[in-house]
Amino acid sequence: MKTSALIALILAVFTVANVRAEEVVVIVNPAAAPISKEQIADLYLGRSNAWIPIDQTVGSAIYVEFYKKATGRDIAQVKAIWSRILFTGRGFPPKQLPDSAAVKKAVAANPKAVGYIGKSAVDASIKVALPLD
Amino acid sequence: MNFKLMPTIAASMFALGTVGHADPTIDQYVTFSGFGTLGVVHSDYSQADFIGNVVQLHGAGYSRSWTPTPDSDLGGQANFTLTDALSSVVQVLSRDDADGNFKPKVEWANLKYEFTPDFAVRIGRIVLPTYQHSDIQNVAYALPWVRVPIEINYTDKAEYSDGIDLLYRVKTGAVTQNLQVQLGSTTEDLPGTVFTSIHANVGVFSDTLQYGYTSVHLVYQNYDHTGFPPVRLRLVGAGLTYDPGAWFVTGDSNYTQDTYFGDFFAWYVSGGVRLGRFTPYTIYSTTRAPSAGTSGLRSLGNERTVSAGVRWDFAKNLDTKLQLQQVTIDTLDDPASFANLQPGVRVGDKANVLSLALDFVF
Repeated sequence: MKTSALIALILAVFTVANVRAEEVVVIVNPAAAPISKEQIADLYLGRSNAWIPIDQTVGSAIYVEFYKKATGRDIAQVKAIWSRILFTGRGFPPKQLPDSAAVKKAVAANPKAVGYIGKSAVDASIKVALPLD
Repeated sequence: MNFKLMPTIAASMFALGTVGHADPTIDQYVTFSGFGTLGVVHSDYSQADFIGNVVQLHGAGYSRSWTPTPDSDLGGQANFTLTDALSSVVQVLSRDDADGNFKPKVEWANLKYEFTPDFAVRIGRIVLPTYQHSDIQNVAYALPWVRVPIEINYTDKAEYSDGIDLLYRVKTGAVTQNLQVQLGSTTEDLPGTVFTSIHANVGVFSDTLQYGYTSVHLVYQNYDHTGFPPVRLRLVGAGLTYDPGAWFVTGDSNYTQDTYFGDFFAWYVSGGVRLGRFTPYTIYSTTRAPSAGTSGLRSLGNERTVSAGVRWDFAKNLDTKLQLQQVTIDTLDDPASFANLQPGVRVGDKANVLSLALDFVF
């Protein structure tokens, strides 16, 4: 009895965790050219200036999820990489916007902009360039 | 040791930062940032001082058993965005140096013009890309270790030059190349009575290639100083890093030819594994002088070091590191990790060194 209760609890926890970790999608302007996963990683790790990357708040759940899936790196690694770029005068980390709505607005306004939002926030003002799952 | 300066600089940088962030219109043109390390080093070898940078005069072991001077530093940077294409960076660093104090120095101060996002020219003071990590050696937060293995920097005659450089980024298939050509002159203080304040012309060509998780750093540098001693130094270097995220391996090497001091060959290899917030690592590093120059000095710098440590990313923008290393001295002529050699030093002596560091960026 106790074992099955424990299993039920574990399953419940996993279900909750799955619901909470919403799918992240990379978005671009509807007029933008296609972009690959390698290009996304290059942009968000400071190896390319071809597009304008936009970040969500550093350390937020979606930020952590995005960097893990798009670059394979955690917050501290990303900070270390951008510290090197910043303190050698080669550039700045992506501009941060507070939420998915603000990111959508910025991407809708600029054909060069790239952002990431929760899948549920997708609408016609932008287009999904790449699902990350 | 002028520690009194550090809090003053910190206070003024924080004050500047506050002003900058309080006014959004200023924020568009100027941004402030900074970095630093609070470190302490212990060495059980009392016949010499273990140092954290080749120019330092004192360290741990002979002068003091424990000392904060090898790794502690504090840097502040201002970035000015003048137009879309024109920008400027100024970075001031306080670190124990060849003068034996923490007097702040200007590390970077240049004006950058971007012809395209991938092609830029910079004029002013620019840190040299001589080694894989030389442009970031004072920002320990950006390094996996407490410090860049000192052996690779042993022939480091210059940290920066005043002049011009061109930066060009070109993508060929999946490979991105970051090409840099830098020409300038340098005047820097070197330790000791003979070599103080040396003026030289420096030229560097470097290429950093990136392919997925792999990064390769290739460099050629010349360094010419007329005067005494005359130095005509040629360096070629190659470094490699593979970092898929969950673990990394990295190594760097260089061969230096110098008419006066002879030839040098230095290299290191290192690897680490990222286990959540902890990144344990090991390093093997060494430098050798295979031939003597006109100075007649032999085996300059010779030593080898085995290190093991761990980085702990315990909070946002902060890490702490613990590093243990054993250095084997292979020469009586200036082994790379040491200053203040005492008469009791013998070839084959081993120094056990413990380093603790707290690194931050803001």
